Amino acid sequence: MSNTTPSPFALVDIQGLHKSFGATQVLKGIDLQVRRKEVVCIIGKSGSGKSTLLRCINGLERFDSGHLAVDGQALQHGNAPAMRELRQHVGMIFQSFNLFPHLSAGRNVMLAPSLVKGLPKEEARTRAQTLLERVGLGDKFDRLPEQLSGGQQQRVAIARALAMAPSVLLCDEITSALDPELVGEVLQVVEMLASEGMTLLMVTHEMAFARKVSDRVVFMHQGLIHEMGTPDEIFNRPQTPELQQFLSALRD
Amino acid sequence: MVQFALWDILGFLVGAMRWTVLLSLIAFAGGGLMGLALLMLRFAKLPGVGTAVAWYVQLFQGTPLLMQLFLVYFGLALLGWDTSPMVAASLCLTLYASAYLTEIWRGCVMSIPQGQWEASSGLALTYAQQMRHVILPQAARVAIAPTVGFLVQVIKGTALASVIGFVELTKAGQMISNATYQPFMAYTLVGLMYFALCYPLSWWSQRLENRRLA
Amino acid sequence: MIEFDFGVVLAQWPMLAHGLVLTVALTLASAVLGTALGIACAWARLHGGRALRSATSAYVEAVRNTPFIIQLFFIFFGLPSLGIRLSVEVACVLAMVLNLGAYACEIVRAGLQATPKGQLEAAMSLALTPWQTFSRVVLPPALARIWPALVSQIIIVMLGSAVCGQISAEELSQAANLISSRTFRSFESYILVTLVYLALAMALRQCLNWVGPRFIFTSR
Repeated sequence: MSNTTPSPFALVDIQGLHKSFGATQVLKGIDLQVRRKEVVCIIGKSGSGKSTLLRCINGLERFDSGHLAVDGQALQHGNAPAMRELRQHVGMIFQSFNLFPHLSAGRNVMLAPSLVKGLPKEEARTRAQTLLERVGLGDKFDRLPEQLSGGQQQRVAIARALAMAPSVLLCDEITSALDPELVGEVLQVVEMLASEGMTLLMVTHEMAFARKVSDRVVFMHQGLIHEMGTPDEIFNRPQTPELQQFLSALRD
Repeated sequence: MVQFALWDILGFLVGAMRWTVLLSLIAFAGGGLMGLALLMLRFAKLPGVGTAVAWYVQLFQGTPLLMQLFLVYFGLALLGWDTSPMVAASLCLTLYASAYLTEIWRGCVMSIPQGQWEASSGLALTYAQQMRHVILPQAARVAIAPTVGFLVQVIKGTALASVIGFVELTKAGQMISNATYQPFMAYTLVGLMYFALCYPLSWWSQRLENRRLA
Repeated sequence: MIEFDFGVVLAQWPMLAHGLVLTVALTLASAVLGTALGIACAWARLHGGRALRSATSAYVEAVRNTPFIIQLFFIFFGLPSLGIRLSVEVACVLAMVLNLGAYACEIVRAGLQATPKGQLEAAMSLALTPWQTFSRVVLPPALARIWPALVSQIIIVMLGSAVCGQISAEELSQAANLISSRTFRSFESYILVTLVYLALAMALRQCLNWVGPRFIFTSR
């Protein structure tokens, strides 16, 4: 049975989360509490359930049983306005960027604040310009996504998520689809956000980055949190054979 | 006002529907043969021929079928040939079908990978042999669904033959409407009968397309 | 030797112009309304409840499997029996709108179904409502995707409007009929009008391909 007393300091509170796709159980009971301003990196083999866990947090996947609350509010899947309210506080960056192809970079960033928060056009525009400058793309306001490199598109996607002023950002393998030379510019932006105090939950394969920036690293294996600790503990002193195997496979 | 029994009306309409079917088949068959010939010409790499066929297609696809019918009808009269509406409609719809079918089939041939042309010419086949044994059999598989779909267009097109006086289903409907003063009933019946002709073909065409893609 | 006299036919150009104006007006009105109807029906077929989906399917199949001339006759001659008496022009527009709407429904539906899933997830993650997602994120790229097919269908409806002369609408084909009966030069009259239709089809295609990227595909 899952323990459903909420943790008072957790921004994201996950207890006993279970999720199956048809006959396959993907999450077999996840317990995780993420504190405000914490940077948590989730690592593991593909199929371990990392992305599914992330997608449960903003409701893109519906979990089967357990407890999930963000900022004290439990997820209410059937309640569309409640889910939209949640998503204003939880931002997501996708592996394939998912920028809107018919809108310029600036308009991509402007869209949600003007529609959802009712910001007047001019204010939304200024905010978008500021955010684009913050991710290093101040001069690309009018460019269409197809005119930008992968790294630039992902940075626009970050600016777009930031425009809603979320309290936590979910990053789902945000550099996996990028050419190696473009990965750095995106991770630089994420590092900046971390240093500014953004709460980050990142599924990533970039171990050097995880080691450098995260407060905590979570190793997932076959639908469960197998090991969890500081970067030093996880990378330098892996306890379980599965984690040792995972890390040595990466080194080869 | 003479009272007409529904049975008589249906009988009359079904009789006229036979003419709709006949005209459709003539146009489809004749148009098919002509369209095939145009298709062969299109890809034969003869100077100017490809462009001529393209213009022929554009002519029929860029003008109303009604105008085409009038032109053929009055054109034949100009040439001194005393033609019935049936002959004029048959000729016009055959040409109309040939233009659309050749264009549909052109698309199917274009979908065959270039490699097929290269391989077969590499085996020293003539153009005619290439088309007959390699290209057309493969294109035919792709072409079945849209060709069946076009038959529906032809059937609907025959309705315009009524305007030049040919007594098919639409004209019969007008006659019933005028005789019974019940246009709602007349045109509903006619609509249902066209639907009965067309819907099975549309359904079949969709099924063929789904099967091909599956 | 057959003698052609185009001069006497060309002298009737005011009648021709009048017919052309009405054909263009009918086409533009039905293009806008028919496309809107098509979008609404496409949405209904994808997101509506069972009853709405069935009703829309029935409408689409009924229109696509019957000739336009019968739809026109039904609306103009048949509806008065139910007390709905429409003017010639309104009947023409209604018939053309319903006709285009059915074809546009299928065309737009294909475009909507090709929306990449990631677009919907991104919109959801940004807390957009379903309507905002449909109108600002899904629809503009979908229209861009299917624009050539939609333009072709609008042209088909424009050419099909020639049939409206049969209920005495004073459009282009009726102009041909009137000029023909006035000048006794049937062949020349119809050739001329046919060429005008051909030019109109080409111009319409150019025009719509110019309008599309500028006003339709982008979000306000």
